[in-house]
Amino acid sequence: MGEPQPTGSRAVRQRRGPLAGIRVADFCWMGVGSVATRLLADFGAEVIKIEDRIRIDTPRRLPIYKDEPARNFGEEVLDADPNRGGLFNNYSRNKLGVTINMRTDKGRGLAERLIAHSSVVSENFAPGVMERWGLTYERLRELSPNVIYARMSGYGHSGPHAGYRSYGPVVQAVSGLSYISGLPGREPSGWGLSYMDNQAAYYNSAALLMAIYRRNATGDGTEIDVSAIEAGVSLVGPVLLDVSVNQRSTVRPDYPTGNRLEWPHAAPHGVYPAAGEDRWVAIAVFDDGQWAGLVDALGRPTWAEDRRFATQEDRFANQDALDELLSGWTRGRDRHDVMELLQAHGVPAGAVQNAQDLNERDPQVAHRGVFFEMDHPVIGPARFEGNPFAFSSTAQDNWRSAPLLGEDNDYVFKEIVGLSDDEFDEMQTEGVI
Amino acid sequence: MAPTAAGDHVFTGARVIELAGDPAGEMLGKLLAQMGADVVKVEPPEGSPTRAIGPFAGERQDPDHSLTFWYYNTNKRSAVVDYRTDEGRDAFLRLVAGADVCITTLSRAGLAQLRLRPDDLRRASERLIVVSITPFGLDGPWADRLSSDLVGLALGSPLNSCGYDDHSIPPIRPGGDQGYQSACSFALMALLLALIERQSTGQGQLVDVGMHDCLAVSAELANPYWFYPKVLVHRQTCRHAQPTPTAPALFPCADDRYVYFVLFVADLKPWRALVEWMDTKGLAVDLLAPEYEDARYRQEHFGHIQDLVEVFFLLQTAEEAYHEGQARGLSIGIAYAPDDLFHDEHLSARDFFVTVEHEDAPPGRYPGPPMRFSDVAPVAPQRAPRLGEHTADVVAGVHGGDG
Repeated sequence: MGEPQPTGSRAVRQRRGPLAGIRVADFCWMGVGSVATRLLADFGAEVIKIEDRIRIDTPRRLPIYKDEPARNFGEEVLDADPNRGGLFNNYSRNKLGVTINMRTDKGRGLAERLIAHSSVVSENFAPGVMERWGLTYERLRELSPNVIYARMSGYGHSGPHAGYRSYGPVVQAVSGLSYISGLPGREPSGWGLSYMDNQAAYYNSAALLMAIYRRNATGDGTEIDVSAIEAGVSLVGPVLLDVSVNQRSTVRPDYPTGNRLEWPHAAPHGVYPAAGEDRWVAIAVFDDGQWAGLVDALGRPTWAEDRRFATQEDRFANQDALDELLSGWTRGRDRHDVMELLQAHGVPAGAVQNAQDLNERDPQVAHRGVFFEMDHPVIGPARFEGNPFAFSSTAQDNWRSAPLLGEDNDYVFKEIVGLSDDEFDEMQTEGVI
Repeated sequence: MAPTAAGDHVFTGARVIELAGDPAGEMLGKLLAQMGADVVKVEPPEGSPTRAIGPFAGERQDPDHSLTFWYYNTNKRSAVVDYRTDEGRDAFLRLVAGADVCITTLSRAGLAQLRLRPDDLRRASERLIVVSITPFGLDGPWADRLSSDLVGLALGSPLNSCGYDDHSIPPIRPGGDQGYQSACSFALMALLLALIERQSTGQGQLVDVGMHDCLAVSAELANPYWFYPKVLVHRQTCRHAQPTPTAPALFPCADDRYVYFVLFVADLKPWRALVEWMDTKGLAVDLLAPEYEDARYRQEHFGHIQDLVEVFFLLQTAEEAYHEGQARGLSIGIAYAPDDLFHDEHLSARDFFVTVEHEDAPPGRYPGPPMRFSDVAPVAPQRAPRLGEHTADVVAGVHGGDG
């Protein structure tokens, strides 16, 4: 399988942004690791993604392919081109890509030489893998003084369960985030996505930036240990204090509360049926002013004058009746029409949107430029999820779509590491790179 | 990881003014305070609206006993400044002028009405970084609309992926304040980029974070499935929303608790580990037969395997299944209730929870910082401030935080 030649526009160039000049030897893979170092690549760091030709990174393999039929992500295509994976493109844009076979002595030696030319090293393997390759923090400091060594894992690098295996949904279960999500008296509905692959990645990005910020000020490197489970527990929120301060257990028949809130006493507060198949609109009323707006928007129905709904506390206490009456009004109406009408009356409301809505009709997402496009030599032009923040002066530096497998071996190993042509050819022949 | 030099935190010496009335801004301030910044929460005389949100310690419904407020405001100081008056506004701008960062969660209209627009704040100091977190960002057609955690998750699309297999049940909002938490995470990353930029330029700037934008990129696979094969994902009970249905992954156990486990029958190694484990309880039944070594055969008999696995989990406790499965190299999780977390031996061994004393309530067990650095000692945890507890010090210019 011949690799397409990089076009001129894919050639490595000087990067711009607050992280320009920082080189990262990036051993991260899977979703969480790839997203964590993406931010660095987006803002100017030279992130060199180190891959294994034998064990292909999962986002390259998940069957999310342009112009192909729907497949769930368990339905992998045998012998698929690793350069066609859409998820990988989304996660690894603006990074360089090299391959190293870390099972070989020469491969490990080459990795050390690359680390010696880097000031940040990142990884999210199971604990012990980097140690097996001799890549401890102590060794890294010998190779690159003041190095930042970012270690991302499910459980952290100490403790009796450090070796446990996890991915997003397991982290969500073990950290309590699944249990606190659902209707009372049923199994948890939890999460329909790897929320903790996202959030752990964001916390890891932030930790990396904190270490860089601190090193810029003090000159000191550090070893970072972020446990996804711990990040998850910290996202559980104030209910942890209801348990530990008030000794009020969450193991009870009326917990969790579905789409209703325990606090504040918002009502109505829920997701209501709209016209169409499986279409919904969220409505949240927090005070008398918003209630008055809702009643006006509904055309002042007589039921709204019922004394059961007179005050916010009354409405909170009578949510079953209120939800049924409100559902009767929303059902049969378009979810976006309901949102527009209620927002015009000062009521927080939003259609339950899907990816098509975000990409094709949401005027706010379009205005803010949340998504952007870049070309890819195998996939062609594709959309990407941007960074959802706007700066008055800093700018994201979109340089290139995700690397083809081993695309930058030549540049990185010859120009940065300093291999001769002969050494390079030999390593290629021997399957080291 | 042994701490070395004390007083050497990430944000030692950094001064932050926080004008925040929702968990996005408050969590951001808390994360900065946990890493050594001096975070002053500026509140009107009646207190931040977040002080009115329960649950309350011992059911005392007053501004100093909101557990929601306590959770999101540890390690901060509180100063009462009535920024709605001319005098208070001047005092507020003086605080901002001496700060590195100002966090606001007020709407565009609210900031304009108070004459505290980002430009007004930035005039106070060229080094100042203003972090604005709002439901939709400071511009665009929806900038003045109203939102909430639920409405935000709906519009941004994560909610579309969450709920039950039964689609007569609406999508269900995940617990906590995850819409706001997502906005907080992006605000933290953006602020750090602005701080790093300032190290070389000396200039502050405005960081404009819209919760809607944040959630629009936080549904994991939903956008890539639309970008590439142009298909939508559909919600399923406590497992990934997918373009086509997949088997249940939540298994009830003997103790009425659940484990999360996905049966990946394609790979031989976890398959053998599972069958070996089932066999130790005499529940492997026919799965030991040689035909099952073939991935295609396993795929064809998936329903039968799933039935046996259901029975297997029903006959043991969730805690047993979790640890035994993990010991056998399987990626399995227990759906812990918040109560369970305080008894987890792994979190205990890592000293993750910290005890915070309260003068007139029992101590609380709070999560420690979610990131650890080898040579930085954690900041000692301090309870959230009482309303106006530090007004005199703050107005007199006394610094807090770490150094």
